[in-house]
Amino acid sequence: MYLTKKTYVKEQMKLAGLLFENPYLMLMMQHFGLNFVVQDKSVEQVCRENDINKDVFTAIANLYNGFQELDSVHFTRTDIPSVISFLKNSHQYYKDEKYPEIKALIDEIARVNSTPEIKLIEQFFDEYFHEVIDHLEYEDEVAFPYFEKLAEEGESKQLADYSARVYRDHHTDIESKIMELKKLLLKHIPLHQDKTLRRRLIISLFELEYDLTIHYAIEEDLLIPLINHFEKTPDRG
Amino acid sequence: MAECNIHIAIIEPSHMIYEGLSTILLKGNPHGRILRFENLDELKEYRDKNCLEVIIVNPAIIMGDPGALGSVKKHFRKAQWVGLVAAVFSDSLLQLFDARIQITDTPGNINSTIARLTEENCICADDSPVEELSDREKEVLIELVHGLSNKEIADKLHISTHTVISHRKNISQKAGIKSLSGLTIYAITQNIISIEDIQSGG
Repeated sequence: MYLTKKTYVKEQMKLAGLLFENPYLMLMMQHFGLNFVVQDKSVEQVCRENDINKDVFTAIANLYNGFQELDSVHFTRTDIPSVISFLKNSHQYYKDEKYPEIKALIDEIARVNSTPEIKLIEQFFDEYFHEVIDHLEYEDEVAFPYFEKLAEEGESKQLADYSARVYRDHHTDIESKIMELKKLLLKHIPLHQDKTLRRRLIISLFELEYDLTIHYAIEEDLLIPLINHFEKTPDRG
Repeated sequence: MAECNIHIAIIEPSHMIYEGLSTILLKGNPHGRILRFENLDELKEYRDKNCLEVIIVNPAIIMGDPGALGSVKKHFRKAQWVGLVAAVFSDSLLQLFDARIQITDTPGNINSTIARLTEENCICADDSPVEELSDREKEVLIELVHGLSNKEIADKLHISTHTVISHRKNISQKAGIKSLSGLTIYAITQNIISIEDIQSGG
């Protein structure tokens, strides 16, 4: 795995080849609810078989490969459910897999490194984790159901407290705290018999940050503009 | 130069030339990162635009529409543009680039061209800004960690609130940490406060 070259994803490409190049695309496929063992199928084939808009799929795959192209892709209302399902599955992954993994690593580190700094890191992370859970639950329980309804009925009622700006502020916060954790763990807090665990923790934080960055890009640059568009011009058809 | 992890983009349709060039570049910059793009449109959509220091382009790509280069250039403020010259092109076309690599150049030549271009804003240079806090900043940080407001800190240290805010900004910038709990941990690792301080201070 030598992640310096990444391909610009196109629909006729073999999906397996892309997965060999960037294994994090497996994670993306899980977020789409897809099986990542795809034999020799092309991107287009996998999308067709699973009823996913190939433009949505390639746009998001390109985000994972480091390209930004969401502004230039034309999405429609029928894409909203698959985008929301992607985001919901991502939430599940953060809540059930990634954050518990990070939490477990911090706990393990605390067992071998009993310095006060690590104690404080535990606290820092716990507080942060609660903020994140609150945010994810808000989206799952309030924002997404509203978007889904909008997609179904073309309803044009504004969700009063929901604006792209509120969204963005919250995101910045969640991301900057991961950055702070990385900084403290990688640059400032001395190692104390926790070298291997620390490395695993930091790499796990990088992975979380990578996925979250893309998650927000999808919400802010794809979902929000799409929603704003339908709020302004409700489609009764 | 050997330690520099510069990011180089290459737009070159020939696979052979691309592979050869990226091998040469990686030998000169073992920590460099090479990205390949098929055309300017793909490049324009690259997410981390400010991370690209050098963009190497085969002029044949833009021959049909030299103006397109200008509009793409705007998006990459930090990048140096290099023409990869493997055929005869007009001077006006070659003028669009900051530097040129000839197909006949030796690996040494190629890497010194790139080195010359990246010297100035090379991030591995040892002139990175000092990150240690000044004495005043340390004082402000101590009070912050103890939970004092900007106003309270200003009164206690006999400075204006405005000055406190500007110290806070510098502290966050130097430490790379904004949140109070993050700064607390930072202050301990820097021996600016001790753990007892915050436990007893509440």
